[in-house]
Amino acid sequence: MTKNQTIDDAIDKPILTVNKLNVVARSSDKDTAILTDISFNLSKGEILSVIGESGSGLTVLSKSLMNWLPSPLVASKGSVLYRGDNVLNLSTNELRKFRGKIFAYIGSDSTTALNPTVPIGRHLVSKLRAVMPEYSETQAQKRIIDLFDAVRIPSPIERFNEFPFQFSGGMMQRVMIVDALCTDPELLVADNITQPLDVTIAKQIVRLLYDLRDEFGTSVVFSTASLPMAADISERLLVLQNGRVLEEATPKQIVDNPGTNYTKALSERVPRIWSAKHTPMKSLTQKTILSVKNVSKTYFTTDPKAYFSKQAVKAVRGVSFDVLEGENFGIVGESGCGKSTLSRLLSWVEKPDDGEILFENKSINTMNSSELKNLRNQFQLILQDPYTSLPGHKTVGEIIIEPLKIHRSCPPQAYSDRLFEVMTEVGLPKGTEVSLPSQLSASMRQRVNIARAMVTKPNLLILDETMSSLDQVEQARLLDLFDELQRRHNFTYIFISHDLALVRRACSRVLVMYLGRVVEMAANEDLFFNPVHPYSQALLSAMPTLEKNRFDASKVLLEGEPPSPVNIPLGCSFRSRCPNALEICATESPPNSPIRSGQVECHLIAQDKNF
Amino acid sequence: MLKAAWKRPQFRIGLIIIVSLLVLAIILPLISSTSATTLSIRERFAPPIFMDGGNLKHLFGTDQLGRDLLLRSLIGLQNAVFIGLVSVIGMFFLGAIIGMYAGYKGGWIDTILMRITDAQMSIPVIILAITILGVSRPTAFSVIVVLILAGWPTYARVIRSVTLTESKKEFVRAAKIIGASDQRIILSHIAPNILPPVAFIAVLDVARMMIFEAIFGFIGIGIQPPIPTFGNILADGTKYLINAWWITVIPGLFLFTALISLNLIGSTLESARNEALEGREQ
Repeated sequence: MTKNQTIDDAIDKPILTVNKLNVVARSSDKDTAILTDISFNLSKGEILSVIGESGSGLTVLSKSLMNWLPSPLVASKGSVLYRGDNVLNLSTNELRKFRGKIFAYIGSDSTTALNPTVPIGRHLVSKLRAVMPEYSETQAQKRIIDLFDAVRIPSPIERFNEFPFQFSGGMMQRVMIVDALCTDPELLVADNITQPLDVTIAKQIVRLLYDLRDEFGTSVVFSTASLPMAADISERLLVLQNGRVLEEATPKQIVDNPGTNYTKALSERVPRIWSAKHTPMKSLTQKTILSVKNVSKTYFTTDPKAYFSKQAVKAVRGVSFDVLEGENFGIVGESGCGKSTLSRLLSWVEKPDDGEILFENKSINTMNSSELKNLRNQFQLILQDPYTSLPGHKTVGEIIIEPLKIHRSCPPQAYSDRLFEVMTEVGLPKGTEVSLPSQLSASMRQRVNIARAMVTKPNLLILDETMSSLDQVEQARLLDLFDELQRRHNFTYIFISHDLALVRRACSRVLVMYLGRVVEMAANEDLFFNPVHPYSQALLSAMPTLEKNRFDASKVLLEGEPPSPVNIPLGCSFRSRCPNALEICATESPPNSPIRSGQVECHLIAQDKNF
Repeated sequence: MLKAAWKRPQFRIGLIIIVSLLVLAIILPLISSTSATTLSIRERFAPPIFMDGGNLKHLFGTDQLGRDLLLRSLIGLQNAVFIGLVSVIGMFFLGAIIGMYAGYKGGWIDTILMRITDAQMSIPVIILAITILGVSRPTAFSVIVVLILAGWPTYARVIRSVTLTESKKEFVRAAKIIGASDQRIILSHIAPNILPPVAFIAVLDVARMMIFEAIFGFIGIGIQPPIPTFGNILADGTKYLINAWWITVIPGLFLFTALISLNLIGSTLESARNEALEGREQ
């Protein structure tokens, strides 16, 4: 650490130089290349984004910067120079001076990073004091609380004593940033940190990193799979494919003038929200197929603060909407807004406490079990996770024909004909019917899911985050498949999703949910070009996109997170995050005002006579 | 998994021993000139063949009434294995049905079934056995009933807890959505996923049940004489332990060998399964 004195005069020199780095997976007989000839420089206070698909070596690169490669990975050639010291040659003892103090690492899964039995603050204080023994206990506590404030964790003193499970994913990611920054590192490696977060929260975290860089002068290596996110945060991008650097460029160059076909494809794959034309299916008949009237659902959980009382989690609060035959209807919102509960209610796996759901003008509430079974024939839900939603011990063929057996839709001799018919329609090659789900890729499994849902020829399909586990290319392919199936069978789709780009492409009408309420419902064009509710505007401003966002994040982006559905504020539930809340919002729930193609719930609109 | 277990010598040894014992136990009484209950006062206390005075007619000697110990032990083994197997199968199915139903349904059904399980668990096996077998003449059937009653709660508890986690999984929700009945979901979606591991562990329980059968016989509440069981042969032999120790030792050795081989099979199956779960197989 003799170089510490020279930091000031070395300010223009790169602090980190990676030179022809090669990483291999070493087994007894051969080496498999994971990273090949990676070279780049990083100067002080710079944010460098490394982008690549999963499997391109992002995490391996992040870890090798700190000489933290798990076996059997070995850095076989090249060097990682930190101010002249080759990190790869240091022993574990010497590395201890670097890790924590000079390097800091944040991973993507923050929720399991801390011991659940130890309060958050204790973790950070003990880390800080281990790395910097000169801090006393009280000084360390003060510093952590100050940093909690700096990363905008609300009520930092109370949260200091809370446990990891009491933090949401976004808050936990902030804690991990504090954990990384509390020792004033010079280099922060952020490995895919925004991946598990909602768009609005991810955007907040990215802006936070940006601000912290300005404040503390930390250099950041930000690895991500999302090109818009990388373009948003950094001045320089490194494109990684199969462990090789394809291109190093500014975000502008990559969008306007990509150097390789891969980069070009990568940039074209990012959905264009405003500059492209989208024509989703609209209803031709205008006949209502599904009608949801004022449904509510409350769950009761034990109150952690009292022994015998229960607390009510109001997941869905009086939601009403109609879905027309043959249209694509979208339901969007952040996690925790009640989307999944709503999907469970729609698919009648759970019953609403209040309100009713009508399918083709018949109320599901009053149906007896045989009518209900009959209904399942016509109305199907496709689940989110292709890995867990298929029974692992059955073959694909058995899975697909199970609904036929249950509903006795056709004689047993016809099962195999129907099976092959459906398999061809969804694009499952012949021969897969005898394989187990574990032998198929994620998108193939999702096709099995679709085949199972449509084998009984339903009219209405609910897609609950069906696409969210697939990459962009597969998403596009499946969307085409859905379009085609819709044309052929006149399906009605309900897309439940947090992905606005998908909804923009696929849905003709969109409903925006916040804390179990419908805040805005509008036709696609209206919502994306001219949203009325401040929450819809905020969601749009947080969208990762390569175009110029029509909504300026600094004006409309939300701070904080949705309040807990246990303590929903009186009046307008969005008030606590709304940038233009009025006095009346605190006391009265906003009325439902019909506007344009839909409706909106906001005092601002209700009071503005122009609408 | 069976293949992985077969690769281990312990498994093969156990299987070979138990299979040859069973074949012997089934065939020898059929082809033998005498039977396990034929008395022959003149030949009583004949020692095994390897001792002075032993003869070929009674390879392992005779007891105090001159009955052939080899045949008696083999019939005892027949009874023990039969009771062990049937009672374990019985408690496995009873426990599986109650456990899966309670775990899947939840709510008050779960509460009631599990409280019944707790109540059953609180009665010690021996007390239960004395009560049931003491008031009526014990038969193989009543011994099996006692063992099933004593054993099912453990299975119900274990199976309920794995059912709880299994029934929260997405594919169960998917099955509900396609309209599958509760019965169908339990039998064709949940059972195939959770029962095999429990069944493997149940192999070890066969040995445990054989011990209980021997205990019942020993204290006189097992299958009644003259039908030989390990328990009542051992009990007879204790009176002559000093002069004719083989009456106790020979059936004891048979029981011991059978239990060891069953435990070898059970524990290798379990460890093979653990390896398969950790992905170390192949």
